[in-house]
Amino acid sequence: MGNSVGLMDRFRKILGLRKTQGILLAVLSLLVILLPLVANNYIEEVATNTLFYIVLALGLNIVVGYAGLVDLGYAAFFAVGAYTTGIFMKFGLNFWLTIPIAILFSVIAGIIIGGPTLRLRSDYLAIVTLGFGEITRITARNLKITGGASGLVGIQRPSIFGHILNQITDFYYLFLVLVVLAIIIAIRLHNSRLGRAWQYIREDEDAAEAMGIDPVKTKLYAYMIGASFGGIAGAFFAVKMTAISPETFAFTQSALILLAVILGGMGKIPGAILGAAFLVLFPEIFRGIGQMRMLLFGILLVIIMIFRPQGLWPERKG
Amino acid sequence: MSKKFRSMVAVTILALALGVTGCGTQSSEPTTPSATPAAGGGEIIIGLPLPMTGSEATYGKDMENAIKMAVDEINGKGGVNGKNIVTVTGDDACDPQQATAAANKLVSQGVVAIVGGYCSGATIPTLTVYNEKNIPFVITAANSSKIAAQNPGNTFEINGTAVHQTQKAIELFKKLGAKNVAIVEQGDAYSSDLAKQTEDSWKAAGNTVVSHDVTNKGEQDFSSLVTSLKSKNADVVFWTAYYADGALLIKQLRQGGYKGAIVVGDGSSDPKLIEMAGAAGEGTYVLSPPVADYLPTAKQFAEAYKAKFNQSAGAYAPLAYDGMNLMADALKRAGSTDGKATIKALSDTKDFVGLAGKINFAADKTLKESNFIVLQITGGQFVLQ
Amino acid sequence: MTVFYIVIQQIVNGLILGSFYSLIALGYSMVYGIIKLLNFAHGDIYMVGAFVGYGALGILGSRLGIGWLGIAAALLISMFLVGLLGMLVHRLAYQPLINKRAPRMSLLITAVGVSFTLFNGVMVLTNGEYKTFNTGLGYEGISLGLVNITYTQIIMVVATGILMLTLYWFINRTLYGKAMRAIALDQDACRLMGINVTKTIGLTFFVGSALAAAAGVMAGVYYGSIQFYMGFVIGLKAFTAAVIGGIGSIPGAMIGGLILGLLETAGTQLPFIGSAWKDVFSFGILILLLVFKPTGILGKSEIERM
Repeated sequence: MGNSVGLMDRFRKILGLRKTQGILLAVLSLLVILLPLVANNYIEEVATNTLFYIVLALGLNIVVGYAGLVDLGYAAFFAVGAYTTGIFMKFGLNFWLTIPIAILFSVIAGIIIGGPTLRLRSDYLAIVTLGFGEITRITARNLKITGGASGLVGIQRPSIFGHILNQITDFYYLFLVLVVLAIIIAIRLHNSRLGRAWQYIREDEDAAEAMGIDPVKTKLYAYMIGASFGGIAGAFFAVKMTAISPETFAFTQSALILLAVILGGMGKIPGAILGAAFLVLFPEIFRGIGQMRMLLFGILLVIIMIFRPQGLWPERKG
Repeated sequence: MSKKFRSMVAVTILALALGVTGCGTQSSEPTTPSATPAAGGGEIIIGLPLPMTGSEATYGKDMENAIKMAVDEINGKGGVNGKNIVTVTGDDACDPQQATAAANKLVSQGVVAIVGGYCSGATIPTLTVYNEKNIPFVITAANSSKIAAQNPGNTFEINGTAVHQTQKAIELFKKLGAKNVAIVEQGDAYSSDLAKQTEDSWKAAGNTVVSHDVTNKGEQDFSSLVTSLKSKNADVVFWTAYYADGALLIKQLRQGGYKGAIVVGDGSSDPKLIEMAGAAGEGTYVLSPPVADYLPTAKQFAEAYKAKFNQSAGAYAPLAYDGMNLMADALKRAGSTDGKATIKALSDTKDFVGLAGKINFAADKTLKESNFIVLQITGGQFVLQ
Repeated sequence: MTVFYIVIQQIVNGLILGSFYSLIALGYSMVYGIIKLLNFAHGDIYMVGAFVGYGALGILGSRLGIGWLGIAAALLISMFLVGLLGMLVHRLAYQPLINKRAPRMSLLITAVGVSFTLFNGVMVLTNGEYKTFNTGLGYEGISLGLVNITYTQIIMVVATGILMLTLYWFINRTLYGKAMRAIALDQDACRLMGINVTKTIGLTFFVGSALAAAAGVMAGVYYGSIQFYMGFVIGLKAFTAAVIGGIGSIPGAMIGGLILGLLETAGTQLPFIGSAWKDVFSFGILILLLVFKPTGILGKSEIERM
């Protein structure tokens, strides 16, 4: 218990919150944990979706926010993770055993994408990542092993200690655990030697290089770690949906995840969380207005950017 | 200033979250102001998962219109078991993730039955969502062969399946005396499924598939594809996807001097195909679900639809209309809104007469007999073959 | 049917497709060149252009007929109105961020927001329906052996050529063009020299959007039908074309479009690639090109600091 209070304290410090805000955070956490007791399936589904996008946004935040690299093809890593898990489970492998493989494959994808291209200027990086995203999607669409355009269907639900995870509440908690882990890792990374190297490179690459930081290698680490977040999220996505198809990993998906990161405020963990929450909740709340909702979403995006160009929860410069 | 703003943001997000909660438990779509989750009330709530946004929105709207026509008629005749039917539309945007959220929302709104389903890819992951609550689902358009394979038991397909359509296509190819068939699909679950099934069957019958091409949705230029198809000496070009891109392909095939036959699948069976393809469309064969305009039984429906919505009923309108009527009929036969009883009643459906013909279900809950028809564009109109 | 005929016909196909890419890529490149923004909404501007042209043709058709005269008038009207729309978007959505010296990433997201707005706005306005251009243009043309080229295709390519030459003249021979080029080099210095920077950027948006609108109307006439999502795929392709040619470079965008068009047609025809893999083929070549020539074909290398 003392430990968890300590953790909460550290959270508070890292997030730069005052004591009262710390209490607010604790109340919020409690609400999040107790949500399934009061919510119906739909709310849980939306909440789970939110948690899922938080993991993705935190992963992309490492690439975009920490290391300052553009990535318009993040859905590719998410796809690699989802397909790896889906395919290996089709071969009869246990879900939990597919996770390390999914991570491995998505990290390899990160190296393939990052390796030859990280020397490029950031705008070219945008088109290259976009290209890789499309290549991944088209490849998944054309290959037999990925189920072609129909994708993989009938992916088994995983079980934990003999309990089959097939209720939305199960997935809610599963993704909640993922989010907590992702936040902890993101915070630790931010404060690590590597995290400082990223920040340094982001602020001034030449100076960083002069100080003995290898920019290409350091950037590649950002890609690899960001990719592994996407891979894990993808693996869990596959078993939650039980069906995955190439359309899910189209460019729009990558753009939405990037939007969550930048909307929230690049580089900040609460920002990524807020951005992801906004991204999922907004269209859901406005389901009632039908066709107009995505129009409103677009207009609101522009307005937010005009008034908060640094994002909803920007990084404070020291 | 910054801190104040942050608290404001936090409060807003919290309010947004509460908004979802509110939406989920109490309010409903504006189209159904009286819908409440209480299933025991005087109404029967039926959910319509359809694409209302995104590039398939036109089809979703068309199906929603037809379903609402059926509902108005049913309610006009006193409803089902003394209760009126109320519909709630869930926008699946043709996207699996949004579809799952929409399905859960429909369940939360207390629907007792589901009618609709357009995109196969978006429909498949929702089947279990409904099945867990024993909610029967009549799919009126989506027809990938993966649906029957994944059916958890609550789902009934009243559109002919890809298997049915493939048989019809092969029959037609043989009738046309074709040897070399070129297949073009759009890389989505539906058109790719139909393309693959046709390729396999055509090859199994000892014939040649000279090429199997994939286009991207929204691509406008098929000229290089046309040249490539011509260079492979295809007798028949079979387009398995939707009318918008299909019309472009037909035009460009003719423009490029292709002389062979063109056959298009049921996704292209729409009066707009004729309008968009223009003169180039003449002679094109269309595999079609039973379309209102060519069904003597649906004449009244087609006219009523046109009068009400000021446009022709699309390809899936008759089936959507039939789907709602079938569901109402099953609810009547079950005598209650109990899910299991309704599913049983649907399974027991015998010779239900809809606009599109008789509905009987095979063991896998797809249509026992194919209802596909072959039309040909002649003189700017579809003519039944 | 000989291999020779196929190759020639595919080159013709590739050049026509490529000229559309070029026209749209120009807008990407110009805007990028001047404010370093990847204007994601540009594909949607093209789409809006097609719809405005459709509307204009509907109104003018009764007076001028739906032949080439009517089409030319609709084209010019659409170019003008959509050019204004481009300026409006710049003023409302981008300039406030430029004034605040916002991060470029925020500008990118704003562009995504504008794209969403235009895309969904047109969807709501048109009820998601397809519109058909009834121009009555036939397939008559010239046949060189087995190669078919229709008059419509010839006119399209000529019109594209005229637009590009006009642009070239505008950028290189007029004072406005000079201002644009100067701003691309150093905004602050331009401000000091008394150039109205904001206005010039607005003008760039006008020109870029007008060109996209021209491409939109021409696509509507040439392909015969338009819908609200027609800008998405071609927007991505034009972006790719602009990068292949060297983003920021005007001749680069022209060449990049033609190269991409040829690559795609080649990909469709070549065995072991085919239409299913043609985009992988084009993107693959793009990536290879960038790895070996990181600034594209005609792009200038510059030292960049993030």
